[in-house]
Amino acid sequence: MKRPYQITASILFILSALITYESLQLKYYTPLGPGPGFFPFYLSLCLAVLALVMFYQATFKKSDSRPEDFIESRLGYLRALAICVAWVWAAGMLERLGYRLTMLVFFPFLLLTLGRVKWYLIVLITLLGSIVTFYVFSIQLSVPLPVGPFDGIFEPIDDLLY
Amino acid sequence: MEAFQSLMDGFAICFQWQYLLFTILGCLVGTIIGVLPGVGPAAGTAMLLPLTFGMSPTASIIMLSAIYYGAMYGGTITSVLLNVPGEAASAITCLDGHAMAKKGRAGSALAIAAIGSFIGGTVATFGLVLLALPLTRFALKFGPPEFFSLMFVGLSLAVALASKSMVRALIAAVIGLLLAMIGIDPVMGVPRFTFGEKALLDGIGIVPIAMGLFGIGELLLTAEGAKPSVINTRLRDMWPSWQEFKTSFWPIIRGTGIGFFMGLIPGVGVLVPTFISYAVEKKISKTPEKFGTGMIEGVAAPETANNAYCNAAMIPLFTLGIPGSAVIAIIMGAFMMNGLIPGPFLFKEHPDIAWAVIASFYVGNLILLIMNLPMIPLWVSFLRIPIPILYTLILGFCVIGSYSAEHSVFEVGLTLVFGLLGYAFKKLDIPLAPIILTVILGPLMERALRQSLEMSRGDFTIFFTRPISAVLLGLAVVFVITSLMKMTAHVKEDQEV
Repeated sequence: MKRPYQITASILFILSALITYESLQLKYYTPLGPGPGFFPFYLSLCLAVLALVMFYQATFKKSDSRPEDFIESRLGYLRALAICVAWVWAAGMLERLGYRLTMLVFFPFLLLTLGRVKWYLIVLITLLGSIVTFYVFSIQLSVPLPVGPFDGIFEPIDDLLY
Repeated sequence: MEAFQSLMDGFAICFQWQYLLFTILGCLVGTIIGVLPGVGPAAGTAMLLPLTFGMSPTASIIMLSAIYYGAMYGGTITSVLLNVPGEAASAITCLDGHAMAKKGRAGSALAIAAIGSFIGGTVATFGLVLLALPLTRFALKFGPPEFFSLMFVGLSLAVALASKSMVRALIAAVIGLLLAMIGIDPVMGVPRFTFGEKALLDGIGIVPIAMGLFGIGELLLTAEGAKPSVINTRLRDMWPSWQEFKTSFWPIIRGTGIGFFMGLIPGVGVLVPTFISYAVEKKISKTPEKFGTGMIEGVAAPETANNAYCNAAMIPLFTLGIPGSAVIAIIMGAFMMNGLIPGPFLFKEHPDIAWAVIASFYVGNLILLIMNLPMIPLWVSFLRIPIPILYTLILGFCVIGSYSAEHSVFEVGLTLVFGLLGYAFKKLDIPLAPIILTVILGPLMERALRQSLEMSRGDFTIFFTRPISAVLLGLAVVFVITSLMKMTAHVKEDQEV
């Protein structure tokens, strides 16, 4: 685990330098007492010191052995990547396309990439996860979900459900 | 007597049908969460936080608390039947619980765990009732310096006990504190670290941080692994024998004591009492060599300690406003979202809410006992859901949860960022609990620090000249030093080996 900790420590040190710079742009002390930059300034210094200690320990002390599951199979990484891609799609499209259209892509994509699922289950879960969930949250639980410019296509379903 | 009168008033509220329904619903959902691999109590509570947005503060806290202790019990089911702990606290139960399951005694193990959990949880809640008002009265004497020192003690314990490496735990704590600095400065109203992003002016919400770190991060990790096989159990095998009851009696009593006292100390974490109670049983057993081969004491003691801890951990939260663990920090976040600050003023300003929630702990523990024994086969059936379907549904729910917290896709994106951070930190063995604890405590700590320094006109000795504050800081120093000494001793032992 030597190299991962060295890299982490370096990133944290750079991060602490940036935070120190940002906190110095804020008032450190005011006539009333400590200013908005006071606490973050000391915290960033703490982070810098801790990053240096981590780097020192990783470089000069006996490091923990790397756990067996530290590096997974290629398939495992692809599954994790599929989750990230689906999530980025959802974050990017929720307000552009609306919840229902976004999730009509989100659900089948994940079901197809995370493993083998029968086609009728994919259809069922996609419809449940996008259209029925929208109805349950927006109407039953009063938790509004985003509506997009093409949501007119769901009018027949809306008429049926509401 | 005053406390018991207030508790009765609390029962009157929590027996209203809607609160009873939320308790049952919370226990059900919590148990499912505990059963599902990859979704621990912290992730589950964070994911379900948005469900409670439309509810009253009492209903919301009652439901989240029920989810919490439901999830703790749900984790036992997978430990016994799959040899996979649904959550970390049940890890030790795998040893004897799964060995019992292999011998066809899964039902006995689960029943004793349920009975032990009920006893541990009920006794701990009774402790909360006894200690709530005296501790609250004591805490009302606290000014900003004492509160700062108290929170410092909580953090030092969380850091000292959270990880094998104090440096890594401290890094996690400092990162959490820095995340808490984002947004408008609480005293002067100046934006900090927002980088011109309007969505950051209110700071980063608890939902993307908790859901990302504990939910998405954990899902990313478990999506890489394989699914274990399930051991089936029949309903008629559920009831333990008289001998098993007798053997479990003292382990349950000892587990209750250990769990309760550990729960009073913020930051101990649920792993410590479960491991200690297991170790104690093994130590005093006449047949310690049989532990790990299916000894009922190895299930009864840690499972009781686990639930006693969870209920006792509510004592520092309710009386002092100190969250002892990640899940409690998320529950504290739910209090704050509803405009309530847990701590001494909660009993003074909102006694109805405080006592109704405490009463709901009793009701929830009873519901779990009644519900769980006959429903175990049903919970196990959740494990037969294919992993792709399970993860897809959970992720879909997380999208809704992260969006509906602030009705912003920025929060959805932020959840993934924290998910990746949680994934990386888990790989690097950097503990996540100190991050969520400091995110919650950070603004309170900063305000207390700045108010204290305003009081003393910048003189830091205010923390050492006030007796309560000085004692608390002294305790923090002792905790950190003893923890450092233990770590140094371990390193030396490893080097000698």
